[in-house]
Amino acid sequence: MIAVQDIRDTARDLLAKNEVRAVIGYRRGTNGMFAEPVVITAAEQADQLVWDPTCFHNLSLYLVEDRKFLKHVKQNPDLPIAIVAKGCDARAIVVLMQEHYFERKNVYVIGVSCEGTGMLDERKLASRGIQASDAAFDGDDLVFATAQGEQRIPAREVMADRCLECRTPCPKEYDALLGEDKTGRELAEPFAALKRFEEQDAVERWKFWERQFDRCIRCFACRSVCPMCYCDECVVDSISFPVNAQTSAEEKANRVRWIERSAVRSENITYHMTRAIHLAGRCVDCNECERVCPVNIPLRLLNNKMEREAREQFGYEPGASVSVPALVASFLDSDPGKFIR
Amino acid sequence: MPDNIYLPELARITHIKEEIGGERAIKTFRVEPVDGGIFEHDCGQCAMLSVFGRGEMMISIASSPLIREYKQFSIMRVGRVSATFHELEVGDVVGIRGPYGNSFPVDDWRGKNLVFIGGGVGLAPIWPVITTAVAQRADFKNITVFYGARSPRDLMYKAELERLRGDADIQLSVDKAEEGWKEYCGFVPANVLDKKPSPNNTIAITCGPPIMIKFVIQNLQKLGFADEQIYTTIENKMKCGLGKCGRCNVGKDYVCTKGPVYSWAELKELPEEY
Amino acid sequence: MEKILGKTQIDGWIAALSGYEILAPAVEDGIWAYKPVNGEVRLDHGNTTQPPKGLSFPQREVFFSFEQIKGEPPRLTQKLPDAPRRAVFGVRPCDGCGAVRMDKVFNDHVVDNYYQARRSNVAYVGLACNKPQGSNCFCLSVGGSPVSSEGMDVLMTDLGDRYFVAALTETGKALMAAGGKLFSEPAAADRKLLEQTHAEAVAHPQRAVNNLDTVPAKLKASFNSPLWEELARACIGCGVCTFLCPTCHCFDINDENTSASPLKGNRVRTWDNCQFPDFTMHTSGHNPRESLGSRLRQRVSHKFRYFPENFGMPQCTGCGRCITECSVGIDIVTVVNKVTEHAG
Repeated sequence: MIAVQDIRDTARDLLAKNEVRAVIGYRRGTNGMFAEPVVITAAEQADQLVWDPTCFHNLSLYLVEDRKFLKHVKQNPDLPIAIVAKGCDARAIVVLMQEHYFERKNVYVIGVSCEGTGMLDERKLASRGIQASDAAFDGDDLVFATAQGEQRIPAREVMADRCLECRTPCPKEYDALLGEDKTGRELAEPFAALKRFEEQDAVERWKFWERQFDRCIRCFACRSVCPMCYCDECVVDSISFPVNAQTSAEEKANRVRWIERSAVRSENITYHMTRAIHLAGRCVDCNECERVCPVNIPLRLLNNKMEREAREQFGYEPGASVSVPALVASFLDSDPGKFIR
Repeated sequence: MPDNIYLPELARITHIKEEIGGERAIKTFRVEPVDGGIFEHDCGQCAMLSVFGRGEMMISIASSPLIREYKQFSIMRVGRVSATFHELEVGDVVGIRGPYGNSFPVDDWRGKNLVFIGGGVGLAPIWPVITTAVAQRADFKNITVFYGARSPRDLMYKAELERLRGDADIQLSVDKAEEGWKEYCGFVPANVLDKKPSPNNTIAITCGPPIMIKFVIQNLQKLGFADEQIYTTIENKMKCGLGKCGRCNVGKDYVCTKGPVYSWAELKELPEEY
Repeated sequence: MEKILGKTQIDGWIAALSGYEILAPAVEDGIWAYKPVNGEVRLDHGNTTQPPKGLSFPQREVFFSFEQIKGEPPRLTQKLPDAPRRAVFGVRPCDGCGAVRMDKVFNDHVVDNYYQARRSNVAYVGLACNKPQGSNCFCLSVGGSPVSSEGMDVLMTDLGDRYFVAALTETGKALMAAGGKLFSEPAAADRKLLEQTHAEAVAHPQRAVNNLDTVPAKLKASFNSPLWEELARACIGCGVCTFLCPTCHCFDINDENTSASPLKGNRVRTWDNCQFPDFTMHTSGHNPRESLGSRLRQRVSHKFRYFPENFGMPQCTGCGRCITECSVGIDIVTVVNKVTEHAG
């Protein structure tokens, strides 16, 4: 069991000794039982930090935000920024380093193993009719405070699908590590949810996706929450086109609008499919895109499909190691070449 | 206002003049209605010009309301729609809808001295007030026009300004002098401070780059102008022009309906989000 | 017109409403949404994920089509919507209030033809909340109420085995009249139970924005407070809060071409969002609201300061969707209360 005090002490220590300039972690939010991301900059704030089954956010997103902010204000601080990272989040940090988004010395990883209990899937909890005001880890169970008293549920029953399938509950890249490595958990096969979905034939699957893409309202929450979607200019979007005083009229006039703003099937398909392809070999299955979707589009399936391709075709797993070159940025002699005719 | 507030009328380009060339080219366009008459407007109001297939842009109407046959616009080539506009030719048909926004309270200014202060393409939004005042010359006391740009090549409406001399005191300036330049060399706000227009019974109307407006207002205040005596017209990104899409919202105002014309007394109460 | 409708009679009433497309809450893909009625009507929803604003203000609205014909001026064909008559059942009071605020925006200064064409054909058959539908409801503290009839054509109150049904408009009366004998006259006991139910609903604790009438002045005083950046620190700049809000109405207008040569296309309105980074970006590259803090401040100020200044009512109806659906915990009640507390 992770003692939240250990997380707080680690953070407090780093800040008090001026070893880091900030710590990105979780604190209790004001929306019921849910944790929320927080960036603390002073040792006294360390007591805010929490660790519970609602710490599902991939905080590496805020490393990206931090880097963009530093670029904007043209600063390059010596001190690293610290981050509380689960196994999945740590892989995201590794991907960012594989892509040279920042250097290893810029970040201090406070690795926290989820020790086999994974993170809560709030929809699975809601479907059981449970309204909780608090959630906590307890061994292999999750304990919820409800109006009817305490409810104890085995974690595997309300754990997110991606946690069930996960093989890296313990961060491999870290500066400090809290918790035990319970990698042998194996609650479900990797890509199990994808396999279940593929029991339908291609025609049925396409119909399913057409219906889902009809429902998308293009709020861009999926893209905004993804740490890998760090492009200043998103190709499939005509709204995030960064312009400055030096951008010429020609550039603005000639910029191609790959998709229109209308949230109609054709545009939504292009948006989601292109985003999935751009994430191929880069997605660590943190599930944030699916979690944040307000209309419950099962986006994870799209990304899983690409990751399975990467795994099967290239034996590649995103975020496994900083020293491994990024899949889409490298070519090895051993790469499959069947498609070259 | 037409029945359908979003449906433009069609207008044909009847005249194009290149004011300045180069990277930040400015062209003056005159458009006339394809069918029937065109809407009337007041000084300071704007219109949405459409290039079908590209989009719309909100531009100040640069011609005086006294001119009924056409509407004039001076457009700088900065972006998607304006760049396409610059490629159009006489005879091409565009869309126009308007008039949008509020106007300069010209009627309140009859009997007063008027000091116009323009910079770059900012001369265009205040040009209707200048030309209307000159056309109704007897209604106004002294008319002074301060106008400046980066270099002599960047001055627009050169011939028109020359024609105004006699009716108005024209004070030109360039940031950087060149051979043969006889008038003031320096920034527009400095020229204003140099020539010391009196605030007595005077209204100052200014438009130009935000930084110029800032220093113009400072210098006018130094010269004793009250906030109610200083008028400007601001820009903000606009899409509907009708106070509904929210894009140009600043404080409690939609700039497209409650602005773009503001006195400094009013404008300083709004958050600086434009 | 006030009547009683037995719960078993509601499907009969809906069947009697010929000439109307009936929408009611249904679960699809794990969320509540207004769907065309297919068999039984369910009114056991909390609230729908998306408010009914999309019926009058859809994500995509085609204004007109344009076509370039060689040698002629472009041909414009306006596309005013042929909006079907619809009755939406189960609308919560916060969403009824939301409709009132949307109407103000789209009718102010000039009437928006497209909104008007749709809105005039949408009837709201509301359902009062006997208790708050979620843990993030705060309608009472923003001038609303769980039993408010603002914006409704009909308001139903659940009295256990029956509904108390009240018409508020001529449209509402016509809807009820179509139900004919399915309705019965309310007895004194019905009225007593209605009063009691409403009183209990209003007495039920909710979250609260503190001292609403002091909020505009305090927001003005805190305009330059560093608190805004701090409160927006976790914000990811997506569109969830605004797109799900019953009163948010910002939109974009673009030309969407279907053919390059000859040029053909549509001028289209789509939802837009003041939280997107480029919402206020000028063509020159100048962005008056570049930071997340300034955008959070804009949204909150528009809801609690600017809109009230123009229309005399807050532009937030306390539905709580933005709080529930924000993936990173940005909480408008907390934000307003923290800012106003800090303002002193």
